[in-house]
Amino acid sequence: MAVDLARKILFHDKLRFVITVSGVAFAVTLVLVQLGLFVGLLDSATITIRKLDADIWITSKNTPNVDFANDFPESMVNRVRSVPGVGRADNLLVTFMQITLPSGAREGLMVYAMDDFARWKFPWNILSGDVADLRRGKYFLLDESAAGRFGKFGIGDYREILGQRLKIIGLTREARSFTTTPIAFMDYQLAQSLAYQMFSGRTAYIVAKLEPGADMQAALAEIRRRLPFNDVYTRDEWAAASRNYWVDSTGIGLNMYMTVFLGCLVGVVVVAQTLYTMTMEHIREFGTVKAIGGTNLDIYMILAKQAVISAVCGFSLGAAQSYAMKPLMEKVDLKLIMPPEAMAWCFAGTLVLCLASAMISFHKVAKIDPALVFRT
Amino acid sequence: MAVLEAHAITKTFQEGRQAVPVLHGIDLSISAGEVVTLEGPSGSGKTTLLSILGCILTPTSGRVMIEDVAVGDNARAMAGVRKKSIGFVFQQFNLFPSLTARENVEYSLNIKGLKGNDARLEAERVLDDVGLGDRKNFLPRDLSGGQKQRVAVARALAGRSPLILADEPTANLDSHTGAQVLEIFRNLAKKENRALLIVTHDTKVREISDRVLRIRDGVLMD
Ligand SMILES: Nc1ncnc2c1ncn2[C@@H]1O[C@H](COP(=O)(O)OP(=O)(O)OP(=O)(O)O)[C@@H](O)[C@H]1O
Ligand SMILES: [Mg+2]
Repeated sequence: MAVDLARKILFHDKLRFVITVSGVAFAVTLVLVQLGLFVGLLDSATITIRKLDADIWITSKNTPNVDFANDFPESMVNRVRSVPGVGRADNLLVTFMQITLPSGAREGLMVYAMDDFARWKFPWNILSGDVADLRRGKYFLLDESAAGRFGKFGIGDYREILGQRLKIIGLTREARSFTTTPIAFMDYQLAQSLAYQMFSGRTAYIVAKLEPGADMQAALAEIRRRLPFNDVYTRDEWAAASRNYWVDSTGIGLNMYMTVFLGCLVGVVVVAQTLYTMTMEHIREFGTVKAIGGTNLDIYMILAKQAVISAVCGFSLGAAQSYAMKPLMEKVDLKLIMPPEAMAWCFAGTLVLCLASAMISFHKVAKIDPALVFRT
Repeated sequence: MAVLEAHAITKTFQEGRQAVPVLHGIDLSISAGEVVTLEGPSGSGKTTLLSILGCILTPTSGRVMIEDVAVGDNARAMAGVRKKSIGFVFQQFNLFPSLTARENVEYSLNIKGLKGNDARLEAERVLDDVGLGDRKNFLPRDLSGGQKQRVAVARALAGRSPLILADEPTANLDSHTGAQVLEIFRNLAKKENRALLIVTHDTKVREISDRVLRIRDGVLMD
């Protein structure tokens, strides 16, 4: 073991070390929380697309995202069912409905309606109730997250939707739209009858599942040929389209980039400033290192190591803070998702920026004249 | 054998457009086991000469030879010679404040290429030699001036550099403490057969020296 001058100098001034690490942690938290909210929001924007067990989504022409559906004739589904390679295809109705609360207030509700939910493993997270019962009457499943908007509700409660009394027969979890409008699930016929002006004999989407081993490209091409007035997407394409719509139309993308940029800037300024001040304050020591035969490289390594230590400590603290914010964010109905790749990138970014900040001091180090050791 | 030889050393500083000649043709030679004092009035060029002999400053002309090898004039070659052959003691001690006495010595050994347990043992050996065996784990701020300078002496002696250069090592110490440090310094240098050159104003240094050199206006007197 060699004497670790880098660590000793860094920890010698504990207050400064704490300030540096806090600065990095602040920047990391800023970036991670912003990134987490961004991913969380976009996750809601596509969660129904990703969870519904379909390979192909067919929409009316130019539908911008899953929440803003337009109608087209429901009989089209038969053309899709007979396409070679398609295992099954069904109509899916997605539409906005008005719900009247016991208080008399009116709120929005996003309704997903199908004939046979179970076939599509949808909804994916059912807390109570059975989708098979939906066909038996004026029933619906409501996502538990609706409690925030609609007030407390329970199984067996009735709510008025578009003027009709419907009974809540089950609860789901995680079904949220980008707009945070709560999601309900009901029978296809029932939804059509409620929204008859738009959807009588018409549907919003056709979803299709391919047979195992079927050729996706061939199936897509054939569906497009048969339904020239619709758009046909793979599940991933449709999720991307829905996601991009929100990124482009709301400016949350720009907002995120700006915060990430600001976070990086704060981090760089803090680290560069401390390492630079530290270098300036230790000029005599670094001069001594040179006088006893050390090279510029020896001193660069000291600064680099200090930067790396600051980065690792700052990132760890920042990541811990971000995780600690998760439950707080959930309380205000915000989802914070920090995927491992994003964490890895953020860590790499922290390291690179801290090292780059250290390099700002390198030219000072190169200029240190060992003769200063004789000065008084 | 001469550890250090200097031939016709001159040094002229450039102060803006003005040339300031400081050293005018210095010749000297110091052998292993020899303790030499360099005395002279303030501004006579003592520190400048020591910097050149210590391969920290390049002479304007002339040649420095350490262990019979001429020192190159590029920074890398000079750093190499300092690393391998020279130990320094400064008026300002120049210890690392965040390192303990032992770590100060050990770090210098690390720079000089001795690592691990060997460096630690060597550091402890010289600290014992300078009488700081019981203060090894003290930070410089917890040591007295004399103790600090003894750590610096230990740092210079550690690693067996053949040439030890000291610039006013007692100037920041009271005379009693200074005498003590000099005594230890001299005895160890002698015992280990090092060549020791001490620059000083302090007349007491004369008493422990084998030879005294006097410099005046950049010229050595006889
Ligand atoms: N880097 C420099 N640039 C210009 N002039 C210098 C430089 N270093 C030293 N000098 C000049 O060289 C002369 C000798 O300086 P030096 O420090 O060698 O003297 P000294 O004998 O060590 O003096 P003291 O006893 O006060 O330490 C002085 O006039 C000083 O101003
Ligand atoms: Mg001087």
